[in-house]
Amino acid sequence: MQEVYLRLTSYPNTRILSGDMSTQDVKERLALLQGTLDLLILRILVVGSQHGQGIARAIQETSEEELLVEHGALYPALQRLEERGWISAKWGTSSNNRAARFYSLTTSGRKQLLKETTKWKRLAAAIGRILEPEEGEG
Amino acid sequence: MFGRKRKPSDFNAEIEAHIQHESERLREQGLSEEEARSAARRSFGNVMRAEERFFESGRLVWWDNLRRDLRVGVRMLARNPGFTAAAVLTLALGIGANAAMFSLVKGVLLRPLVNQDENRLIYIQQSATGMGVDDVTFSVPEIRDLQASVKTLTEFGDFSEIGFSMIGLGEPRELRAGVVGGTYFEVMGLHPVLGRLLDMRDDGPNAAGAVVLTYRFWSTALKSDPTVIGKTVRLESFGARSATIVGVLEPSIPYPAETEIIANVVTSPHHLSATMVTGRVHRMTELFGRLAPGVTLEQARAELRTVYANMLKDHPDAYAPKDDFRIDARLLRDQVTSRARTLLLVLLAASALVFIIACSNVANLILARTVRRDGELAIRAALGASSGALRRMLLAESLLLCGAGVALGVISAQPLVAILARYASRYSVRALDLSVDYTQVLVGVALAIVAAVILAFVPRLPSSRASNGISLSSGSARVTGSTTRRQRVFAITQIAASFVLLAGASMFIKTLLSLQYARTGMDTEHILALNVPVMTYGKSQEQVSGFYRDAVRKITALPGVDQVAVGTMVPWRDAGTFGPGLQFTGDGYVRASGEEDPRGQMRAISPGFFAALGVPIIAGRDFNDSDRHEPVVIISQSVAQRMFPGRDAVNRHITWTDPVIKFIPGFNSEPRRIIGVSADLDDEHVVPGPLMSIYAPYDQLMFGGRIFVHTHANPYPLVTPITQIIRNMSAEQPVERAATLKDVRAEVLTPNRLNSLVFGVFAAVALAIAVVGVSGVLAFSVSSRTREFGIRLALGAQPGRLLKGVIGEGALMAALGVVVGAASGYTLARLAGSYFSDMKMPSALPVTAAALVLLTAAVVASMLPAVRAARVDVNQALRSD
Repeated sequence: MQEVYLRLTSYPNTRILSGDMSTQDVKERLALLQGTLDLLILRILVVGSQHGQGIARAIQETSEEELLVEHGALYPALQRLEERGWISAKWGTSSNNRAARFYSLTTSGRKQLLKETTKWKRLAAAIGRILEPEEGEG
Repeated sequence: MFGRKRKPSDFNAEIEAHIQHESERLREQGLSEEEARSAARRSFGNVMRAEERFFESGRLVWWDNLRRDLRVGVRMLARNPGFTAAAVLTLALGIGANAAMFSLVKGVLLRPLVNQDENRLIYIQQSATGMGVDDVTFSVPEIRDLQASVKTLTEFGDFSEIGFSMIGLGEPRELRAGVVGGTYFEVMGLHPVLGRLLDMRDDGPNAAGAVVLTYRFWSTALKSDPTVIGKTVRLESFGARSATIVGVLEPSIPYPAETEIIANVVTSPHHLSATMVTGRVHRMTELFGRLAPGVTLEQARAELRTVYANMLKDHPDAYAPKDDFRIDARLLRDQVTSRARTLLLVLLAASALVFIIACSNVANLILARTVRRDGELAIRAALGASSGALRRMLLAESLLLCGAGVALGVISAQPLVAILARYASRYSVRALDLSVDYTQVLVGVALAIVAAVILAFVPRLPSSRASNGISLSSGSARVTGSTTRRQRVFAITQIAASFVLLAGASMFIKTLLSLQYARTGMDTEHILALNVPVMTYGKSQEQVSGFYRDAVRKITALPGVDQVAVGTMVPWRDAGTFGPGLQFTGDGYVRASGEEDPRGQMRAISPGFFAALGVPIIAGRDFNDSDRHEPVVIISQSVAQRMFPGRDAVNRHITWTDPVIKFIPGFNSEPRRIIGVSADLDDEHVVPGPLMSIYAPYDQLMFGGRIFVHTHANPYPLVTPITQIIRNMSAEQPVERAATLKDVRAEVLTPNRLNSLVFGVFAAVALAIAVVGVSGVLAFSVSSRTREFGIRLALGAQPGRLLKGVIGEGALMAALGVVVGAASGYTLARLAGSYFSDMKMPSALPVTAAALVLLTAAVVASMLPAVRAARVDVNQALRSD
């Protein structure tokens, strides 16, 4: 299971290290729906092949730092997508001349992205419609 | 590690690359080398966790876990060899017994017969419950009537049994033969292993005599000699005929009777006689049929009943309504196994009980052990093992135990099957060629898995909600109420199951004892019985009886012999030869309206028969050699009481009235004068009753040919000289199956003895396990209450009271077990009774005996722990933990 956290501050290990959660922490973290990270990864890869760190950065930058990818969750997700055949991977050299594992979208991955994007948009729109009036009242 | 596309090292390298990328980026933003790296690591999160997730995404993680758990399990079990040995042995016992029983049930009840298309092969049965006979077989006219009208069967096959003396193939021997029509082998769907079988060319009175040897006879007595085919033998029954051996039958179920040969009808003059061919009530033929294509057993049965009903209407004189004649048909396979079915299912239930007992016992052992392990489990839980992981660990351990148990059980099941098969062959010939196969292993493994899962879920896990502080800190065993309660439930289950088995066993033992010690009225230990069958070939009636007279005279001259006589049948062994007996009447006897004449057993005997068997003559006299011409009889006391109550029977007359007698050579319905009354002698039933018997002098009626020798010496050394005497008189005369009546009785009682033995062993095993179980529970309860006992002793309690308390606990458990066992046993027996007609409820005596045995055993089992409780050292108890 992977989770993507919406964070206002970046203390990713707070929970694990202290073994004790502050109430503040709970408020700051909003877990996104399962499967969202997969969708984001696929979307980033449309532009071209990218390594794990690059994907994480791209998600953060594109979302204007609203979404912070827990890097530890990223790789199992990549692993899973690779096993499903939606992305393929190959060791290569990054722009700063380091070895990195580059991921690129496969044809079935492209189809999956289209399907998931449509689904996500419908879901977002539906949730939006429900939430709108309440916000208006509040 | 197979099945994984990517090595963990590759994954680790990728993570390392990520962290480097990230720290480089952070450095570009102005952080120092050190800061950048640690920030990168921090933002990555727990590297180890990521690696774990990667690892867990593999498809075979469960396998890795299992391997680890199994390794741990092996270590844990090796550290407790006593516990491990006890658990494995108990499980092996439970699993082995079940696997063996199951392969027996499968082999005997479920395996198809070798006969071709055996699921179309049916056995047709005529019953007359009013006459007290379940299977009266058929007469030739009855078979003809059925054959003429029944359309749902393609063919009928007939088989009747007769005794032949066979001369011309090694030593002359008396053998049992099946006499069959030309369709028999085709209907049965059997094949020859040598030569050919009998077919239509061997049918009818004009064919040449032909004989097929059964496989068993050919392979044992004839040592598989292939040259026997084509040899000519002389077969003697009511007259001698010659016949050619044409083939050897494949090994198959000898049903309805195990015979040495199967011959066509011309070999038996009796089968060609008017008696056989026209006598509607002369029934001695078994009937088989083959279902026509597309016809179900139900349809065939329905048609048979219709045709049969018409036949009864056409011949009202032959079928008295009181006799309740009926016809039925069932698959031959079901017919063959019918006798063994109840017994096997009962045995299967018994082994299931043993399995329950074994599992309860091991569950108890495991419970006791988990309580001692509470600390360990709590620590594991605190270190982050989920309850799933703990269960998995426990499951791995119980799997190991059960695996070892099943291995041992299946290995021990092999010889067990052999023993059981020999036992079951008394009930069904199918058990003879039983083999051990893979299903046994499958059943064993299935049972082991069931047991393992049950056992893994028996212990209570340290609850995550409750505070584990105490067990963690002290690390010692604290018994919770629920654990002892569970242990007690298991102990009571064991006792209840053992009780059912014990009650069953004591029921069988009681039956055996009552049979063994039933008074037979005969001096069985000193009477030697020999089969010296009547040989009529080329001899007149006078010559035949002369032969026996001479034989008796010569044998009497042997040293140690008191009395020698000739009779018709060896008691018990030859039982049933004459069916329900023949109808007769006596002077002045008036039968009630609607009643039939009484039936009596007819026996031909020589003078001195009663003296030889040690049966007194109460009135009148014995036969003597001058009784050759006047028709005279001796009757048993029960006949005298029935026919001439309160009057002297001697010199009155008995007349045979049975419609069958006109078919018996040398028999007629003239009145016979009673010259004596003997005490009752029951040679039919192992439990003697007043068997109405009528004895005729063997000069007038020659049947059977059994010689009885009463001796005050050891009977068996006499067999050789007796055989020599007879062979010297006639080289062709068979002399067979010599045994004292005591041994004949023992042989007849073998199935009962085996019943008792098998059940006794089951019950003994169950009792042993249950005793260990009770003792174990109490020992555990005592050892965990050491402090309590110490305090009580310190406060002045008498050790005797503690002792009584613990023993009382054991007795209470046993009593509860007996009550539960009695209740469930009663329900089971009632339930079984609705399926099996021959299911008997055990009487009070064996049940009480079983309860007493269990209670005593429980008290004895509580002794040891009780003594330990009473001897608790106060100082030590108070200081310990």
